[in-house]
Amino acid sequence: MWLWNKIKQLAISFRAGMVTLHYPFEPRPAPEGFRGQPVWDHTKCIGCAGCASHCPARTIFLRDICQELRILLYDSSRCTYCGRCADLCPEKAITMSDKFELATDNRQDITQSLELFMMTCQRCGRCYDLEIKNYIDRLSSLGYRYDSLEARKVIRRSTADFSPEELEKTVTYERPGRLEK
Amino acid sequence: MKVTAVIINLLYFLALAPFLEGVMRKVTARIQSRQGPPLYQPYLDLLKLLGKENLNAAGHPVFRLAPLLAFASVLSAVALLPLAGQSSFLAHSSDLMTLIYFLTLSGFFILIGALASGNPFAGVGASREMMTIIMLEPVLAMTLILGVVRAGSLNLLAATGGVSSARGLSYFLMMAVYLVALQAFVSRQPFDIPEAEVEILEGPYIEYSGPNYALFRYTLNLKRMFYSWLFVAGFLGFWLPGSPVLNLAIQTVLILVLFVLISVVGATHPRFRMDQALKFYAVLVLLSLVAVGLGVRGW
Amino acid sequence: MSRKEELVRWLEKELDGNFISAEATIPGRLFIDLKREALSAAATGLMNRGARYQVGVGYDARKSGQGFGLVHTFAFDKDSLLVALRTFAPEDDPEFDSLTPLIPGAGWSEREYQDLLGLRFRNHPNPRRLVLSDDWPEGIYPLRREVPHDLMPPAAEEVAFRLEEAPPGTSIVPLGPFHASLHEPAHFSVYVDGEDIKGCEYRGFMTHRGIEKLAQTELTYNDVPFVAERICGICGSVHSVNYAQAVEAAAGLRIPRRAEFIRMVALELERLHSHLLWLGVAGHLIGFDTVFMQAWRIREKIMWLAERLTGNRKTYGMVIIGGVRRDINQDRSEDIRAVLKEVEREMLALEKAILKDRTIHKRTRGVGYLSREEAVKWNLIGPVARARGVDMDARRDHPYAAYDEVQFEVPLADSGDVWGTLVVRVKEVYEAIKIINQCLDKLEKLPKNEPLSVDLEGPIPAGRQGLSLVEAPRGEAVHYVLTGEENRPERWRVRAPTYPNLQAVPSMLLNNKLADFPIIVGSIDPCISCTDRVLVVERRSGKARLLSGQELENLSRGKRSKK
Repeated sequence: MWLWNKIKQLAISFRAGMVTLHYPFEPRPAPEGFRGQPVWDHTKCIGCAGCASHCPARTIFLRDICQELRILLYDSSRCTYCGRCADLCPEKAITMSDKFELATDNRQDITQSLELFMMTCQRCGRCYDLEIKNYIDRLSSLGYRYDSLEARKVIRRSTADFSPEELEKTVTYERPGRLEK
Repeated sequence: MKVTAVIINLLYFLALAPFLEGVMRKVTARIQSRQGPPLYQPYLDLLKLLGKENLNAAGHPVFRLAPLLAFASVLSAVALLPLAGQSSFLAHSSDLMTLIYFLTLSGFFILIGALASGNPFAGVGASREMMTIIMLEPVLAMTLILGVVRAGSLNLLAATGGVSSARGLSYFLMMAVYLVALQAFVSRQPFDIPEAEVEILEGPYIEYSGPNYALFRYTLNLKRMFYSWLFVAGFLGFWLPGSPVLNLAIQTVLILVLFVLISVVGATHPRFRMDQALKFYAVLVLLSLVAVGLGVRGW
Repeated sequence: MSRKEELVRWLEKELDGNFISAEATIPGRLFIDLKREALSAAATGLMNRGARYQVGVGYDARKSGQGFGLVHTFAFDKDSLLVALRTFAPEDDPEFDSLTPLIPGAGWSEREYQDLLGLRFRNHPNPRRLVLSDDWPEGIYPLRREVPHDLMPPAAEEVAFRLEEAPPGTSIVPLGPFHASLHEPAHFSVYVDGEDIKGCEYRGFMTHRGIEKLAQTELTYNDVPFVAERICGICGSVHSVNYAQAVEAAAGLRIPRRAEFIRMVALELERLHSHLLWLGVAGHLIGFDTVFMQAWRIREKIMWLAERLTGNRKTYGMVIIGGVRRDINQDRSEDIRAVLKEVEREMLALEKAILKDRTIHKRTRGVGYLSREEAVKWNLIGPVARARGVDMDARRDHPYAAYDEVQFEVPLADSGDVWGTLVVRVKEVYEAIKIINQCLDKLEKLPKNEPLSVDLEGPIPAGRQGLSLVEAPRGEAVHYVLTGEENRPERWRVRAPTYPNLQAVPSMLLNNKLADFPIIVGSIDPCISCTDRVLVVERRSGKARLLSGQELENLSRGKRSKK
């Protein structure tokens, strides 16, 4: 009885054979539809900031550094790979790639930044895209955006004067650590 | 010339002991459907540990000395062995009792080291180890005493040869008892209680690291090899050829087979609790006494 | 007369002028507002009528001028009814009657709000700090509105705690905060006499991440599911589905049927892999690593299946408010069926090999025994309760998604020990496979082009309550949502299943061997990161205490603490 049981256990093991891979020498490709590192296609991006304002991890930052240049910065270190940005991008400029081996000792390796040339609204002085103007509205319906955007600290709105310090702050954005008196 | 035999003894054990651990790990891995580490992994582990900083976590000289002394005692025991059916150079100044002393001494130093570390887990581990030693050393002793009874001599060569000299009832009973006890001697499941990883985190060795730990690991490897060697030389000694080289080769193969067996049993059992194991050990001790009794009667 | 009407009528009569209003948002929910004087009487009445206490929720309602709110939720399992009692206390006098003398399970919730909101509870038997770390300064209550979510105040000094001596004749073995058998930080200080456990102190809450606060201050409704998913390392979908259900209930949103079935598939896949994970861990904890590896080998098929279906092995990211994100089409449905068939076959073989193994019986039977009465007293839930013969399952008793449309059994065991939980979990694996197959049948019959999610017409009005249950692999998880302004919840409370189960662990441990500690703690499948709670229970005196970092270090180096 005891022996028979042990033989059965061994049989399970040997029928399964050896299942572990010789990883990392033998790669295991990710399946189709895998949510790996998001990749931005700068030719398609219109700078609408939909990804930045819907990122649950708040890890996509946007800043206008002058009236014609908008910077989009994706800091992968906090990314949860939920794929929300890719879902919402109206131009499908974001794809979730199959890259998942992202461990690095240099944060810059996994940071992506886009410099986007924008038009400037002659009336309010903010960036906008000339061609189509209702993308933000379309985004709203997808993500229930009934919140006040101004309250969001991390999405920088356009500023009239470019200050290098502010940009630096965005790049090295860290959580505030003290009680604001 | 005879000193060379002692050196061969030591070299044989030192070189092969980690490899046997590698075999154990590989076999276990295969049963668990894994690739497992390469066979030479234990050598790398030892090298790695030896290259690390020697931390004295307890701040106590005993803590530092214990691994050295445990290693030295087990090496001394190994040096006495009549490897390959040849009496050791040290045979004239040692006998079976010396061997048992040295073995117990190494266990004792492991206990001392554990207690010196002051860690509560090490304490629990040491108490478990102590119980295991108290319950299982008699089995080892009885096995050798059976040989002594048969051969009428305390000489190691004679005693190990004596174990298998008459293959009667006592021989088979003792062999069965020893095989079960072997699982505990090499501390594999179901009897790896003193160093149960998920319960008491390797117990006696928890505070050890670096070279100190490497010495303990080596000590354990040597001890495990010794116990299986004893099985091969004792119970299967009659089967080994007279030529030393051939004898050694066959012994090595048999020890490997034994380790594969140990690994298979280890991989297919959960760990017993100390109280359950103690009942088991008590039966083993009793049976070994019976075997010696039968041996005395010549059965 | 239904239970709901009866309750309302009784409360109106019994509480007289203290009863404010009753609201039944969706079937099976009843939200009652009371004056705080009547809280204790109402709770007593509910308990006498056979209710099961679930969780307390405190929140800061000062913005609307109501001071502090406190909600206690109760479940009537037989009547599929959840009742929430809400009371308010003014800002200058935030004191409520404590329910703990009546319901021991309420003690944690009340102490939590004492720490986080500065509420006070009259007659609480043990009003000590619970959630906050030892060096958190007095007078800062993190859940209050004015405290930012990322506040890191300077640590209070000289807050070291006195260590209680071990009871005479015993010594302390510190298991944790980091221990090979605890896969997350938690500290058990176990009093042992030789190898016998004579008592135990537990302290956790070392991984408190303030997720609830984050959701209430930074995130929006649709961001939260992705954060909720990361509450737990194993049952992520449970929390995201649960949260979404609570919000949908509050908003009056009805999600497409297709989405309901897809959510069920995700939940049951999670149960499958969680139970297989547990089986493996249980094997590891009793030193049987082959069971560990083989169970995880089978589990890996499910993980890879989930990866193909959702894009990730574990964090499925399937749920958004109003539906799901990815479809399960015909190809995928066949893929699932094939994998499940294989898993079932492998599982049967594994079950046969291990359930009859006498050596496993030796390590699990009679270990961690708790009687049925005690299980009810401690409010145990999930497989831990079902192993003690308590017949409860949120999927059957409070059906959500489309669980009322599928057939499944609720496996029970009456051995009351670790063995019982093992048997229950193994049987639940087959039930989960059954449920998934039924879901796939239903999905194939539904129209293919049905939308996966519905959009909201406008902003969700503030001040609505939503209460949702999901039967997680470890037991029922409760989410309470109070909708707020600016597109985010005013209050979101998560009660993970380990929260009540962990309370009973010291009872289970008593008089067992130290060697059985890992498997007993493992038998409730503790998910510390879900629970995130601090509790210190000393079995002998019932006193509580906390440990400082230095003392923890001393404990782990036993030698120095003796000096």
